[in-house]
Amino acid sequence: MTITPRQICFFLAGIAPVGKLILLPANLAATCGNDLLLPVLAHVLVQSVLVFCVLLLGRRERTLCTLLRDACGKTAARIAACLLAAFLLFAAFVPVIEQKLLVRSTFYDTIPAYLVFTPFFLFAAYICARPLPTLGRLWDILAPLALTGMAGIALFSAGSADLGALAPAGAAGAGGFLKGVQTACAWFFDAALLLCLIGRFPYRKGLALGGALCSLAGGGVLLLLLALFYGVFPGIAVIQTPAFSRMSGFFAGMTVLGRIDYFFIFAVAFAMTFHAALPVQCAVGLLTEAFGNKKYLAPALSVLFSALMLSAVYLVHFHTSAAVRTVTETLFWIFPLFTVLVPLLALLVFGRRHETLS
Amino acid sequence: MKRFLKRLPNRLWVLLCLIVLFAFFANDFGLVDIQKTAIVLAAGIDRTPEGFTLTAQIAVPKGTDRTTGGTSGVEIGGQGENISDCLSDLYAKTGWVPKLVFCDLLVLGEGAVREDVFDGLDYFLRNEYIPDSCLLAACEGSAAELLSSESAIDDTSALALGKLFSDAATKSGQVMTTTLREFAIGYFNESRSGYMPYVRMQQQEKGAQKEAQASGGAQNKQGGQSGQDGAQKIYSARETALFSEGRLAALLSPEETLAFSLLKGNVYAGTFTTDGRSYVILKNKGSVDVGTRDVPDIRLYAGCKVQLCGERETASPERLARGELSEQEEAHVSEVLTQYAKRLWDTCAAADCDFLFFRRSLRRASPALYGTWKDVPLSSVPADIVVRAESLR
Repeated sequence: MTITPRQICFFLAGIAPVGKLILLPANLAATCGNDLLLPVLAHVLVQSVLVFCVLLLGRRERTLCTLLRDACGKTAARIAACLLAAFLLFAAFVPVIEQKLLVRSTFYDTIPAYLVFTPFFLFAAYICARPLPTLGRLWDILAPLALTGMAGIALFSAGSADLGALAPAGAAGAGGFLKGVQTACAWFFDAALLLCLIGRFPYRKGLALGGALCSLAGGGVLLLLLALFYGVFPGIAVIQTPAFSRMSGFFAGMTVLGRIDYFFIFAVAFAMTFHAALPVQCAVGLLTEAFGNKKYLAPALSVLFSALMLSAVYLVHFHTSAAVRTVTETLFWIFPLFTVLVPLLALLVFGRRHETLS
Repeated sequence: MKRFLKRLPNRLWVLLCLIVLFAFFANDFGLVDIQKTAIVLAAGIDRTPEGFTLTAQIAVPKGTDRTTGGTSGVEIGGQGENISDCLSDLYAKTGWVPKLVFCDLLVLGEGAVREDVFDGLDYFLRNEYIPDSCLLAACEGSAAELLSSESAIDDTSALALGKLFSDAATKSGQVMTTTLREFAIGYFNESRSGYMPYVRMQQQEKGAQKEAQASGGAQNKQGGQSGQDGAQKIYSARETALFSEGRLAALLSPEETLAFSLLKGNVYAGTFTTDGRSYVILKNKGSVDVGTRDVPDIRLYAGCKVQLCGERETASPERLARGELSEQEEAHVSEVLTQYAKRLWDTCAAADCDFLFFRRSLRRASPALYGTWKDVPLSSVPADIVVRAESLR
């Protein structure tokens, strides 16, 4: 079973933006105010270039573990896989925390007991044990759902958004821009996720360019939603944490129709649940392959990692803001290391061996 | 045995899922019981020497049969140093957990608006379970009195006030509604200003009450009894309260409120009367622009298509059929509406209340000019005010 190029494009255009709609908008509004689009634009451009590089590496039609094993031996490949898996687990922390915040504040009308989020880890343990190529079918279903959800939210928000609030551009200055880029690092690791999938999709001519364009399209969707978000909440954007679920609630027709925007919010939230589990699933897939594809390994690792995430999330339950700040402000440098440096290095080292092209 | 062991992990997994699902559905993971929950329809904030009084109008089902069905309200007040403290007091007094997710109206009493209202409103803004789309209103007297009053037209005062703030009412140009989100945005931007409808309560006259009862309009349970002593109330929100730095700065008259609605481009099928003639506004566009050439200036413009809809004297069938305005009438209506808009700007300038967001527009247009002009009083800002009325032909 393989992932098709279409499914890769679906992921980049429809699923990838979904993971950036909960805490990122409010955090960016706090660091760079009305200039929140600029750091995201910078990240989108960088990610699109990286996606191009990673998909170009896909020409080898061999998985990352195979490439590493052939080049540096079994042990080195296992060490590299462990390091990348550790990064993916680290990167999964913020999406899982976001998912928890979303459930707590959108699906309940009073503060629920914190056990309510536990079923997510049962779901994650199941989904992460599935082989990586099954992601393709998931994306076929989730991408149209997520895109419809985002389109609905954008449509309902547009009427109450004051896009003039984004002016004057550059008010935050270079300092604000850099701080924004730093803050947003924790949400842009799509290239690292794709790195785990190389060799699991057949390379066709133009896939790298098409993937990069889809990544740009996904970035465009994200920028549009961010602009609408800031337009709906200028000045008070900082306190609107589950951003996407709040911005569509001011549509004039709601007084008659009720909160019909919840259809779209639920569609996006559904896609988000799978997106939150994706880094852990990639980590499990990577390690399973690195350690010989043993049958029990994937379920065992999946349960172990889900239990680890559950412990981490409940351990920081009363320190959520501090934990998110630590990841996004203190440890932010880990993200470019694995998302920018590793894919570029991989392309540099493995991308030139044309003699092994299939 | 081997087969059993092979299937054991899956079975344990299913068992675990069942336990979690059972825990979830058995107790809702500890969610609040509906029997102990008070659904708050509206909340009123009054200031006391110690802090605040929060009056919550709580929805109570009236009955299940067709004649007594509907919702009535019970008003309960909680005192405290801040709003959160007031809600705790409410809980302590009643044992009901106040649920504010359906709270669509916040009323601020006369005393509350004399000081910065955001020390009370910030609770509603920071609580993630209260919708930012809830409407705000200021009122004459105390908010507790207003919410506890008996409406002549609906089961509860909150529902009656909700009708006053409907979309249709807003489009009539008679009332300028605002939500918590809009008020907070105005408060936290460069203009630090906002507005909300100002509610006055009037006693319903006995004759009118009897007519209302006879016509079978929605009456609350006690309507028949209190109708005898004339205690039922009707409400008016044609005035608009202006806020600067969170404090009440001025009140807009009904004419100024209409002009404000026209500038916002809100009016559709709204009527106004001048010199014994009534006109209906069938199309409206409005804008507030800030010029930034040498000296910043403000341009208020509203355009509307109007039609004659009522006269004091009897009109011919031809005139009734057309409802057109002559050129002189157009000029006269334009002049009247321009005067309303000028009075609106004068009130704004006299109170230095920037609810038309002059300073915000200035900053968006040019941060440098904003730096220079942000402290200039509005009374010294040149204003070009035009309202143009055109007859529907």
